[in-house]
Amino acid sequence: MTINNLHLVTILLMALATYATRVIGYAALSNRTLSARTRAVLDAAPACVLLAVIAPAFVAPKPADVIALAITVVAATRLPMIATVTVAMVASASLRWLTG
Amino acid sequence: MTTTSLPADDGAITHGSEARRAFKIAWPVLIALIPMALVLGAQAAQKGLSTIEVTLMTALNYAGGSEFAAVGLWTSPLPVALIVGMTFLVNSRHLLMGAALAPYIHHLPKRIVYPVLFFMVDESWALGLADARRRAAAGIEPSFSLTFYATLGALFWFTWFVFATVGALIGPTVGDLGRWGFELVFPAIFLVLVRGMWTTARAARPWLVSLLTAAIIHLTIPGAWYVPAGAVAGLAAAWFWADAQ
Repeated sequence: MTINNLHLVTILLMALATYATRVIGYAALSNRTLSARTRAVLDAAPACVLLAVIAPAFVAPKPADVIALAITVVAATRLPMIATVTVAMVASASLRWLTG
Repeated sequence: MTTTSLPADDGAITHGSEARRAFKIAWPVLIALIPMALVLGAQAAQKGLSTIEVTLMTALNYAGGSEFAAVGLWTSPLPVALIVGMTFLVNSRHLLMGAALAPYIHHLPKRIVYPVLFFMVDESWALGLADARRRAAAGIEPSFSLTFYATLGALFWFTWFVFATVGALIGPTVGDLGRWGFELVFPAIFLVLVRGMWTTARAARPWLVSLLTAAIIHLTIPGAWYVPAGAVAGLAAAWFWADAQ
């Protein structure tokens, strides 16, 4: 149970930076009437953010991983979440095993 | 998303029913979070963080992407400014997420909103927002279910820091989880969440802009710039195309 002071300060500053990102967007936009255009942008925001986060998987260096992702994309368009996750894991593990 | 069920028309919506609804939708995400948390804890321990430090980081910061980035940068002497800067950058998407959530939660008192925002992570936010939009479409007031959202947030938070701590304790025995296909679990979850947001191909064009921009930036510029770059490009496209609608 050791805590290094510099580690602790770093962790606290990280937590502060992250909490700031969580409240600033809300604080800037609460109590404002939004234009149709702003609404359109905010409607697009969720999917844009999620897809940007997983973009590296689409350009992974190993072809096996990209093929497994393609299979996952197809699964995600028609299966519930847990089935899609299962397909993703099986496709990823088996394609990696097959290609060494 | 097919696993989400709105409360039945005849059934009363209570805190209990809302919490149960959250549990039902949360468990596939928990299955995905646990191996990620174990890997993070094990990596952090290898980099010289003590177990209690891993617990503190994952419980207080509570944003997985930035924690992996921080552990990756964790060397001696510790680059504190770089780590904190990267944390803000990786989590800058929260700015947009909080803004998107604002119209649904602005009626809540500030003493509730500010603690609740602490629990905003990709999964709780996407599920909570999708739920609020469905309830709004179904005419349920208020559209944002605080109990549903808070239950998701608390479940994910608890799971995250507990299993990261376990990962730090068991350390190297966690091994290479990539071999078992775990690294596609998050893309799979995110893709299903995105499918739940689909309305028309026209409305989805900015998504493609975001994905392509993020992929190109990831391949060309080191670091986490690809997340804000992709998101901002997608939103700029949405702004531009809003004219035509």
